[in-house]
Amino acid sequence: MSRDERAIRSLCVVGGGVVGFSAALAFARALPSVEVKLICTPTDPAALADRIGIGLTAIHRFHAAIGVDELELVGGRVALHHLGTIFEGWSADREPWAHVFGEYGLAAAGVPFHQIWAKLRRANKGQSFDHYAAAARLAVADKFVHPEEDSRSPLSTFLYGLRLDPAAYRAMLVERAGKLGIEIVDGAMAGVERRQDGKIASVRLVDDRAFEADLFLDCGGPAAPLRSLLDDEFEDWGAYLPSNRFSLGAARPSAAALPADRVGAVPEGWWWRSALPDHLATGMSWHSDATNEQAVMDRLDQLLQVDSAELLTIRPGRRLEPWKHNVLALGDSAVVSDPLYGPGLHLAQSAILRALELLPGRDCHPLELREYNRRTAQETARVRDFQALHYLRSGRREGEFWNSASNRSVSDSLSHSLDQYETRGRLPFYEEESFEPESWLAVLGGLSVLPHRTDPASDRIDPEEALRAMTELSARLASLPARLPTYPDYLRRIRDRPR
Amino acid sequence: MNSEFRSADDRPLQRVVILGGGTAGWMAAAALIRLLPHACTVRLIESAEIGIVGVGEATLPHLRTFVEMLDLDEADFMRATHATYKLGIEFRDFGRIGDRYLHPFGSFGTELNGVHFHHYWLRMRAEGRADDLFGYSIANVMAAGNRFSPPAVDTNSPLSTYSYAYQFDATLFGPYLREYCLARGAERTEGKVVGVDRDPESGDVTALQLENGERVPGDLFVDCSGFAGLLIGRTFDSPWEDWSPWLPCDRAVALPCTSPPGPIEPFTRATAMAAGWRWRIPLQHRVGNGYVYSSAHLSDDAAAEAIVAAIEGEPMADPRLLRFRAGRRRESWVANVVSLGLASGFLEPLESTSIYLTQAAVMRLIELFPQGRIRDSDRAEFNRLVDFEYDRVRDFLILHYHATERDDSDFWNHVRTMEVPDSLAEKIELFRRAGRIQKYSEGLFFEPSWLAVYIGQNLIPDGWDQRADALDATRLGKAMDKLRDQIANAVERMPEHKALVRGSGMSGEIPR
Repeated sequence: MSRDERAIRSLCVVGGGVVGFSAALAFARALPSVEVKLICTPTDPAALADRIGIGLTAIHRFHAAIGVDELELVGGRVALHHLGTIFEGWSADREPWAHVFGEYGLAAAGVPFHQIWAKLRRANKGQSFDHYAAAARLAVADKFVHPEEDSRSPLSTFLYGLRLDPAAYRAMLVERAGKLGIEIVDGAMAGVERRQDGKIASVRLVDDRAFEADLFLDCGGPAAPLRSLLDDEFEDWGAYLPSNRFSLGAARPSAAALPADRVGAVPEGWWWRSALPDHLATGMSWHSDATNEQAVMDRLDQLLQVDSAELLTIRPGRRLEPWKHNVLALGDSAVVSDPLYGPGLHLAQSAILRALELLPGRDCHPLELREYNRRTAQETARVRDFQALHYLRSGRREGEFWNSASNRSVSDSLSHSLDQYETRGRLPFYEEESFEPESWLAVLGGLSVLPHRTDPASDRIDPEEALRAMTELSARLASLPARLPTYPDYLRRIRDRPR
Repeated sequence: MNSEFRSADDRPLQRVVILGGGTAGWMAAAALIRLLPHACTVRLIESAEIGIVGVGEATLPHLRTFVEMLDLDEADFMRATHATYKLGIEFRDFGRIGDRYLHPFGSFGTELNGVHFHHYWLRMRAEGRADDLFGYSIANVMAAGNRFSPPAVDTNSPLSTYSYAYQFDATLFGPYLREYCLARGAERTEGKVVGVDRDPESGDVTALQLENGERVPGDLFVDCSGFAGLLIGRTFDSPWEDWSPWLPCDRAVALPCTSPPGPIEPFTRATAMAAGWRWRIPLQHRVGNGYVYSSAHLSDDAAAEAIVAAIEGEPMADPRLLRFRAGRRRESWVANVVSLGLASGFLEPLESTSIYLTQAAVMRLIELFPQGRIRDSDRAEFNRLVDFEYDRVRDFLILHYHATERDDSDFWNHVRTMEVPDSLAEKIELFRRAGRIQKYSEGLFFEPSWLAVYIGQNLIPDGWDQRADALDATRLGKAMDKLRDQIANAVERMPEHKALVRGSGMSGEIPR
């Protein structure tokens, strides 16, 4: 096949939300000779990847790929930084704990820190895991600065993500798309024409206009308006994850912007609060069998003073083959995530970069798609496992939601991770993890899931000496926030900087 | 002190008994003594009557991690094992007679806009404007000039894009580690095992009976008894998965010779032969040679004749015959017996993987070291990880035979036309379509290794990453030329390998 026969010439994106525009931009930038159109269908309210603007630490890589600068986002009131999440009431002892992006503790003599920590904790010594992470100390003090380069500084030990105002972010992406010459078509889909080989030839709109393309991206939300026409094979994760309802809302900021999200467990389910430049994003997650809607609404009013909220039905799970023929499902049309951490946007943008890396020929040969589907399945399954861990080991028992949450099926891969961790503090390696081992350890530590026995290698460490070093480290990290500006001050400096 | 800190003294020590004093046995002993001195005692049984195979003269860069983990001094280690540096493996006559390429320990070119270099190269090649891909591999250019210098630490430097391993005398490596172990409290017992005591209920091994009547009791037994597999095979009969349909070579004849005059190459050479291939490993004091062949296609006498004819120096021994079969145990860890090295599996040394596979298994054993009763899930995890390593290497080795145009012997006709495992067929097809290589972060042989063999054996993809078309061809050509020149200039300033090894205190006494 010559290059001219192989190359994809045209791309049609269906879906006018954040995911659709992210995809259109990334493809248009990487493949300047490809003609890119975007059918701007209205966003499905239940498409959480389009509606929750959480960027994990990998978002910087995506932004580099589409040429978006963080300063512009933060300066232009599109984004705030994201240090991690503080969990309240989400453990057996109800003590809050922080899951931040980055390092916890310091290894000694080749023995990982968590082994030393776990050993001390089993003897009721030392402090909770997040006392040994610089970013966690910043998060609880409501402070943020960019990580330092100098590896000797404790402020070099963390990473951060971004929290994006979905409407403002979308507007910025739309503007970029226009500048890049992406054709944006407003309209609603009426149907498609199929080719003999099963591929889609063109998408027809209600006004009868039809758009042909070599490749179609379905960014149309959970209903997957295009991809579902090819087949409806869906792996339901209801057995593993406890929520099927989510109330997505907005509230006025009650105080200054905070650099970390807050998530709290309540008997009905859990709530979430995330600071954006001009308001708070809020959420409440529960299951319709375990909790009645009124109880949830009452709880929401009491906790979050929400201005507006939409009740959404979600069905977590993934499409078995997100890429089939010449249709690639992205965002909620490929995978519906549990709302914890709002990982939908991360998964969508990661999938976009993977699709570019593995872009098949125009014939979309199944062998080439298989590699994309293989890696995507690994990535989504591990995010699901990571979320499921929080419910399975929440340590909470009161209320039907938590009861049911701790009694769900456990996937083989999560059971494997938990078994290895609990018996010896070891985390087996999995390909395509979105959450680094440090994150797994942070959550296991936060939930007080301790190994029954630590690794024999940790016997090499003298516990008294280790405890002294840890006490010193904790004190050093605790003193960090006092010498840093408040987050609003820090933001003001960034925004006032001439661009 | 709190009772949780039953460190050292009160956590019951596991008595580890290692059977076999070859490379695998002493590697296991050294790692256990170094990393788990508080958790186990180590006793190794070896017999002077039973020789060691001493395979694995050529290693992979991972061995450096092992050397560092043991806190060995590199110069001292190289002196003791008469080691030279190794930048890769040169393959001759594999794709076609007359072909040669290096599988370098390092990458090709640099990523541009998130796209792997070889896609740009494929595009420029199709436009008739690209040089040899291997000119963009610094390790290859160094090897071609017989030069060596350790890689740069600064990851922004192109001089950080390669790694290195050692070529050494494997029969000296075991004894070197033995000294290390004995100095640190390992116990060595000379003796031949004649019987095995087992717990009637669990089936676990409780002790090994020696010829002199002594019983050596233990909690965990590590079978490093080589092909014999005294415990894993004879006692437990762990089934063997036979890979000879794809890897038909089942014998080798080894013949070391004196170093010829001239340079000492910082690489191992594998030359395809009528019924297999021949290794050539230049050490400080001699050159290791051997012919790996299929006995179905060649007689032992003919193989010995061929190796005698092929060596470049004076023979230093009589040709020595080795028999083996390609494959692995279905389970390397059964009951309280863990098999390592040849007792657990065998893959011919085409890609110098023997010592790596032992090292990986030793480190997994340490990661999953039992605390008290051995758990089924730990055994399963160990076996899963070992399988994973073997399977990956297997496919990679088969590729060397299968990706060929040779039709000059029955052997090559067989391997060229045989059915390969589905996992490999899929990898080849994925590459053939657009130069894609399945991505993994764990295990052995990443993208550059597969790329070297594919391209080196003339498997040129039909297409490439479409993003590589986005750059202007003239600018791209200039950037590629600049990179190639940078590499050539940097290598020119590097010391000559032989002079470096001879002149820097790492050269051993030359035994004759």
